[in-house]
Amino acid sequence: MKQQRFVKLHEREWDSLQSWLSALDRQAKRTLRQEQALDFPSSYRRVCHHLALARGRGYSHEITDRLQRLVQQGHRVLYRAPAPRWHRVAGFLVAGFPRLVRAQWRCMAAAAVLFYVPALVTLVLMQLRPELAHAVFSSAQLADFEKMYDPANAHIGRSSGTDMQMFGFYVMNNVSIAFRTFASGLFFGVGAIYVLGANGVLIGGVAGHLTAIGCGGPFWRFVVGHSPFELTALVIAGGAGLQLGLTLLAPGRQRRGPALVAAGWVGAQLALGAFAMLLVAAFIEAYWSSIAALPDALKFGSGALLWLLVLGWLWRGGRAGTHGA
Amino acid sequence: MLDTVREIETPEGISLHLRAAGALPRAQAWMVDLLLRMGMFMVAMIPLSLLGVGGNGLAMLLMFALMWAYWVVCEVWLGGQTLGKRALGLRVVNADGTPVTWLPSVVRNLLRAVDALPGVYGVGLASTLIDPYGRRLGDIVAGTMVIHASELPTGQQVPAAAAVPLPLVLAADEQAALVEFAERSGQLTLQRQEELANLLTPLTARSDTAAVRQLIAHANWLLGRP
Repeated sequence: MKQQRFVKLHEREWDSLQSWLSALDRQAKRTLRQEQALDFPSSYRRVCHHLALARGRGYSHEITDRLQRLVQQGHRVLYRAPAPRWHRVAGFLVAGFPRLVRAQWRCMAAAAVLFYVPALVTLVLMQLRPELAHAVFSSAQLADFEKMYDPANAHIGRSSGTDMQMFGFYVMNNVSIAFRTFASGLFFGVGAIYVLGANGVLIGGVAGHLTAIGCGGPFWRFVVGHSPFELTALVIAGGAGLQLGLTLLAPGRQRRGPALVAAGWVGAQLALGAFAMLLVAAFIEAYWSSIAALPDALKFGSGALLWLLVLGWLWRGGRAGTHGA
Repeated sequence: MLDTVREIETPEGISLHLRAAGALPRAQAWMVDLLLRMGMFMVAMIPLSLLGVGGNGLAMLLMFALMWAYWVVCEVWLGGQTLGKRALGLRVVNADGTPVTWLPSVVRNLLRAVDALPGVYGVGLASTLIDPYGRRLGDIVAGTMVIHASELPTGQQVPAAAAVPLPLVLAADEQAALVEFAERSGQLTLQRQEELANLLTPLTARSDTAAVRQLIAHANWLLGRP
């Protein structure tokens, strides 16, 4: 068949498909409700067939370029992902995330060791040799800590600022740290190991120093409420980074490329879960932990309850039987 | 490096041609995004500064959103284009050529922290120069790539002329070459057209302008025009 005749036969279909696709770019919702939307998949596949024919028969670029453009536009529409469904967020937080954490339990355990061991070692060392605090922190930092956790302070854990301001600060600061911890895991896990260890030493150092000088009471009262969410989220973000770096080092029975893509998907979900946990932590830290005038029993009781809640959630959440998943 | 067009076969057995975007247009798009985000932040600071210290908290939440969420939200809702990418005509696509979806977008934008590392996007620049499709590390892990979204102008049409049948049968590729010459003749100078047409004097038995006209007439016949 000569090119001219081929164009004459099919041009109307190409034009109508083209105009429908252009309308879709401008007014997506209305165009999708049109009658023609039902016909789109078959119409698109016919045009694909026409393109294959045009290439096979050696028609000129005028036709093949035009059809190629039409096909690429159609492909974008036909194979686009469905719109995100918000109810899946809840399902992910309740069941999917804990399942994912348990599936990566080796990396999570390694991250926990990398974080808690330096923290505990520093904490104990500070009790035995309090002057070590000056090796970790500058004296200006130490003075700041002592002011923040001064027993006479009405708002513990901060030297100034309102609840709202501190909430914004905690979100910005902690979530950025968690995201960077995950991302830096891509350097063969080294970045994640460093961030976990360094944060372990810092947090252990602050706790140890304040306990050693006798400001331990306000400090522990402050951190017990939000620590289950904050520390666990940091460990999970670090574990996600370790998992990414480990995949790069030892992809197993896959090529590195596909293995990394799969690890990236898992890591991103873990990072999103850690993000949600850090939002909760920032909220508690800004609005609950800072209240100084609460009895110890309430502070430590609620803290212990939250620890149990978080660990229980990660341990049992999304198991078959409990959620029917 | 030189050929940045990537062909992806669709389920219909057609190959898509995706033109990978290099470091320079992407850096420009990033710059546009940076300026836009700074502008948004400053505009938002005007009412927030009236709220006093609490406004600082909201400002920091906004900064967080502009730093981390801006990219993902734009890419997912605007069909793979942040505002800067839209200005530069770029688009983020999944490995199969469809606009980027949630998780890949989250992955590539979290790993932005790695690509941005030494100074301004040192790792990312090295990665885009090494990778045949100009992907930074985040793109490689997410399985995405950034392409030029704007369509190339289509080829010109064969000028209309009264069809003249070919005196002998030409092979398919020879016919295609003849039609392509006629299609592109509009973009060539007259002298170049004549130079090329004179190569085919044995076929046309003419030279110079007459040969060009004869070849275009043959091309019209090959296309099936009257």
